Amino acid sequence: MPLARSLSMTSLSGLEDWDEEFDLEDAVLFEIAWEVANKVGGIYTVIQTKTRLTSEEWGENYFLVGPYMESNVRTQVELIEPLNPALKRTIDKMNSSGCKVYFGRWLIEGSPYVVLIDVAFTAWSLDRWKSELWESCGIGVPWFDREANDAVLFGFLTAWLLGEFAAQCEEPPHILAHFHEWLAGLGLMLCRQRRLPVATIFTTHATLLGRYLCAGNVDFYNNLINFNVDKEAGDRQIYHRYCLERAAARCAHVFTTVSQITAIEAEHLLKRKPDIVTPNGLNVKKFSAMHEFQNLHAQSKNRIQEFIRGHFYGHLDFNLDKCVFLFIAGRYEFSNKGADVFLEALARLNYLLRVNHSELTVIAFFIMPARTNNFNVETLKGQAVRKQLWDTAQTVKEKFGKKLYESLLVGQLPDVSKILDKEDFTMMKRAIFATQRQCQPPICTHNMLEDSSDPILNCLRRIGLFNSSADRVKVIFHPEFLSSTSPLLPMDYEEFVRGCHLGVFPSYYEPWGYTPAECTVMGIPSVSTNLSGFGCFMEEHIADPSAYGIYILDRRYRSVDESCNQLTSFLFQFCQQSRRQRIIQRNRTERLSDLLDWRYLGRYYVSARHMALAKAFPDTYYYESQDPTSKQGFRYPRPASVPPSPALSRHSSPHHSEAEDEDEERYDEDLEAEKDRLNIRQPFSLPYRNKSALPYVTPVSNGNSTPSSTTSPPSSITSPPSSVSSEKN
Amino acid sequence: MEYAVISIGHYSPCTLQIFVCTERVGLISGTVTSWFSESQTDKQEATFIFKRPWCRISTFDSMPVMDEAFVTLATNDVYSQGALVVGQCLRRHGTSRQTVVMVGPHVSQGERAALARVFHHVKEVDVLDSSDRAHLTMMGRPELGVTLTKLHCWALTQYTKCVFLDADTLVLCNVDELFDREELSAAPDPGWPDCFNSGVFVFRPSLQTHDRLLQWAREHGSFDGGDQGLLNSFFSDWATQDISKHLPFIYNLSTSAVYTYLPAFQQYGGEAKIVHFLGAVKPWHCKYDRQTGEVTLRDGAISRSHLGLFLNLWWVEYCQHVVPSFMETDTCQESGRHNQKESRVQHPDHSSRLLLAAPAEAVSQAESKACVLAYETESVEVTLNEDPHCMPQKEDLSLYTEKSFTPTAPNEMRTKPEDTPPGDEGGASEWTHPHDPPPNEESGASESGIFERSQSGEPPLELTASISELAVHLKPEEDDLERRRRWEEGRADYLGEDAFDNIKKKLDKFLK
Repeated sequence: MPLARSLSMTSLSGLEDWDEEFDLEDAVLFEIAWEVANKVGGIYTVIQTKTRLTSEEWGENYFLVGPYMESNVRTQVELIEPLNPALKRTIDKMNSSGCKVYFGRWLIEGSPYVVLIDVAFTAWSLDRWKSELWESCGIGVPWFDREANDAVLFGFLTAWLLGEFAAQCEEPPHILAHFHEWLAGLGLMLCRQRRLPVATIFTTHATLLGRYLCAGNVDFYNNLINFNVDKEAGDRQIYHRYCLERAAARCAHVFTTVSQITAIEAEHLLKRKPDIVTPNGLNVKKFSAMHEFQNLHAQSKNRIQEFIRGHFYGHLDFNLDKCVFLFIAGRYEFSNKGADVFLEALARLNYLLRVNHSELTVIAFFIMPARTNNFNVETLKGQAVRKQLWDTAQTVKEKFGKKLYESLLVGQLPDVSKILDKEDFTMMKRAIFATQRQCQPPICTHNMLEDSSDPILNCLRRIGLFNSSADRVKVIFHPEFLSSTSPLLPMDYEEFVRGCHLGVFPSYYEPWGYTPAECTVMGIPSVSTNLSGFGCFMEEHIADPSAYGIYILDRRYRSVDESCNQLTSFLFQFCQQSRRQRIIQRNRTERLSDLLDWRYLGRYYVSARHMALAKAFPDTYYYESQDPTSKQGFRYPRPASVPPSPALSRHSSPHHSEAEDEDEERYDEDLEAEKDRLNIRQPFSLPYRNKSALPYVTPVSNGNSTPSSTTSPPSSITSPPSSVSSEKN
Repeated sequence: MEYAVISIGHYSPCTLQIFVCTERVGLISGTVTSWFSESQTDKQEATFIFKRPWCRISTFDSMPVMDEAFVTLATNDVYSQGALVVGQCLRRHGTSRQTVVMVGPHVSQGERAALARVFHHVKEVDVLDSSDRAHLTMMGRPELGVTLTKLHCWALTQYTKCVFLDADTLVLCNVDELFDREELSAAPDPGWPDCFNSGVFVFRPSLQTHDRLLQWAREHGSFDGGDQGLLNSFFSDWATQDISKHLPFIYNLSTSAVYTYLPAFQQYGGEAKIVHFLGAVKPWHCKYDRQTGEVTLRDGAISRSHLGLFLNLWWVEYCQHVVPSFMETDTCQESGRHNQKESRVQHPDHSSRLLLAAPAEAVSQAESKACVLAYETESVEVTLNEDPHCMPQKEDLSLYTEKSFTPTAPNEMRTKPEDTPPGDEGGASEWTHPHDPPPNEESGASESGIFERSQSGEPPLELTASISELAVHLKPEEDDLERRRRWEEGRADYLGEDAFDNIKKKLDKFLK
């Protein structure tokens, strides 16, 4: 069922036809990346998850090429003899010429073939190859940049491999080589320079320079057009890397990036507009039971609540059932990951909830690893106190039960006044006294090494969120990755995410953004930004993302203050949803996971490959969408030809669901799921106005009595800043 | 492979010590005569070819003094050009003391290598990772950054006495007699003669003094923001206490003083021993045209004044002795990489290699013949048929009129050794006295890289940012290697030649 649905969600015109047109029988695909069977960063995840689909498509003609790292090979690769005779000859030839090339199966889903090249073994050729690189394109590589030197070796070896393979084939097949990131990019350049019969694709997952500029707190997006890229790269000592990256982008038959926002970045920093955007997907696990993820949410939420009970012992003056758990997670990059905006919005949310006398409590988790000195004694004590209360209650319960049982045995109703004796009361009183505490519940669960200079803690000090009992927003900073063996919060990341209500990722620089994507697949709504690849992708594909629990913050065209206001209003709206509304929203969110599945997103890679084959071998292959007009659809965010639907800009989920609450029978999940198909935006047609989006016109007229009736009328939500100011009055 | 050729003339029996760079590679004991007979030559003159260009021959009577040193400071690549000239001059004038250059953290590897070739000891100094006290002072008074670097010279405690020379000085003759003076001896500053000028001073390294200086800096700062103010307030009794600590002005002849008292300059200027290019215009800020020997100031005016005379001297020193060492560096680096270049490297007549500093007294005017001492691999025969002229120990300023410079430079700076067959007399030419007409002018003029280019309208030499720019002017084929070397040092000229647009052009050639 989901697959059929996702097929129709395509925004690539003419995609369906290609399968018949493209005969891949005599084509061979090499996918080359430094992170093949070698985990360094995020590219590993991309390649590892994507492989299943690609192997299904290419079968025996699919080879991943990566560096040979002994420790990795021992754990995840089964070395075998190559079955393909041409490849066997190629590898034998290279091994006899002083290389070390291994062949095997990578033991991941799809178990693809891998060709692993021992880069260090050929380090003796480095000088010769560097001279050749210098002769051919005038790029030199500093001796002290080890990574770049590895890239030179890897590049020359992969180009050698491809060239040798082309020579070893009796009837040259159509070789397609897909290179990821600048570390592999040199191989591409050499393929072109040696005029090998290879169709080439280059994918950058982020640009080197963009990463450096954003890390340096440059006003990046506003100045994107104005950067003197050579100078910026040179000043940051990455000129040679930047040249390798840009040269690969220049030489590739097809150049791709992972998101629209990175496409814009690449266009200005690498001076080539990507031919196609190839978003990153996930392998979505399908549950057999229908709403299994909702049950998992409830289970995990209980465990988080347990933790909260211990953490806030002595100050549990809020109702845990009226508690919303928000979280932000990722590398500790304070402003790149948007922690600054999140904190500011939390402070404003706190104010809003207080002036509205809201009963709701928001608990915001910051899961960002920083340098620590192990757990905080106070937080550990909290969990111990909670355990003690639990034990006391269990002891009393047992005694109580025994007395009850005995009294029933003799056929008497128990005398309630005698059933708890003095001793029990003493024990319980002592337990209660133990929960007293003078200090505030801690914010940080660990002892920070740089407590006084930590940006999150300093920001909290400035905005004054100290977990006091008047605060409606409480903050817990967990400066370590989650682990199921932790004595404090014994959950792994996935369980934790499932137990939360909303993930908040207001990143400033995020080429793709796996964190919100993972939330979506687990059915947890999230906030992302139009500067993150994920946000752009969702904005493009869904007519009304916030109804689906995909809140997209505008950080591109708004000032930081306006973005904070917008985020505050998102959070405030989210807090005002009823439990039922949240459940419906989670159902909707979870339905989007098909959109993020490689089964759907893999198509973009397929079309990139076809495009490259058609460019390199125009006699054999023909790619339909060569004319620029049809390519526009997936090259530009939000095609100008599509008028924004009113549903998109004006309304968000509370109002939908609110309307449905009046008439509960109107929420029919299957029906709505069916409609989803239509709600997924088609870039080349007018967006369909979903029926579920219609009733929000009504609530103002028929005085509604749902608990969330305090919501401001929809009109005031139109622009978030105004909604915030109206709430303040 | 690199060689340096040492010519010595008739020599009385004594012990020879041969120094290559800083390390002593051989001690030739016994008499010169006997040693010569060992090397199958009965002539009493010899030319040695060594692995390094900078060699010294000392006799017992000028035994090197190991515990005293000349110290200079290079804070960046441009100043290290000045330091190279200082070091080179000291060597050429046959100092028996050690030479030390302190380099700041911003001096590139290439420059350090060049400095190591000239100086006995290259010492990296960085205030930020020095002792706590220096660091603290740095924190409290960040404006004293470079000054504090200079104070590091007091930490060179392996020497008992040192003479500090600024990198913008030019040593005109042997000034070893400075070591007879005590701490702190210096020459008066032309602007306020009760203060000494800190461009040249004699001092005794001592950690105690170093600490006291730093403490002084922290407590009192410097009244002029630099080292001179600091040192003058620290050694405040210099002006009045001991006249023997007043160095004669000829040991620190400030170029600016020339204008203020011209008659005095005309009277005594000829005795100058050390010139100090005080002020904003440093020699390396000027342009030098080797063809005409003219130094052009920044604003384009040709300097014909007395200042110009000194600038000219600096540039002659630089071009004759420092630039060749760079080419040496290059060829050395290439040879490791490119086998095909080796033949050229082995050319013995590379003009730059034939320069050396032999103590003038040691070299007699007697007829010389060559004997070759080859290190490591193949030996190369060189014959010197000509009388090698020794460098005068002290340049006579009166000789160096602008006119007399002009003919010197061109033939000395031939830079294309391949074009000259081995063993040809080009090898001797650089020993030509400035007054001599170049013996092989016709060949020299036609084959040299740089002079042709300056004749054909190439811009004159300029040392604005770094020596790398200079190298660009040297030779087209060296240019490519030099550029690559800069890439490999992480110093690509990303705003100029190495801009991506040029790379793109190369890529587009094969993308067609």
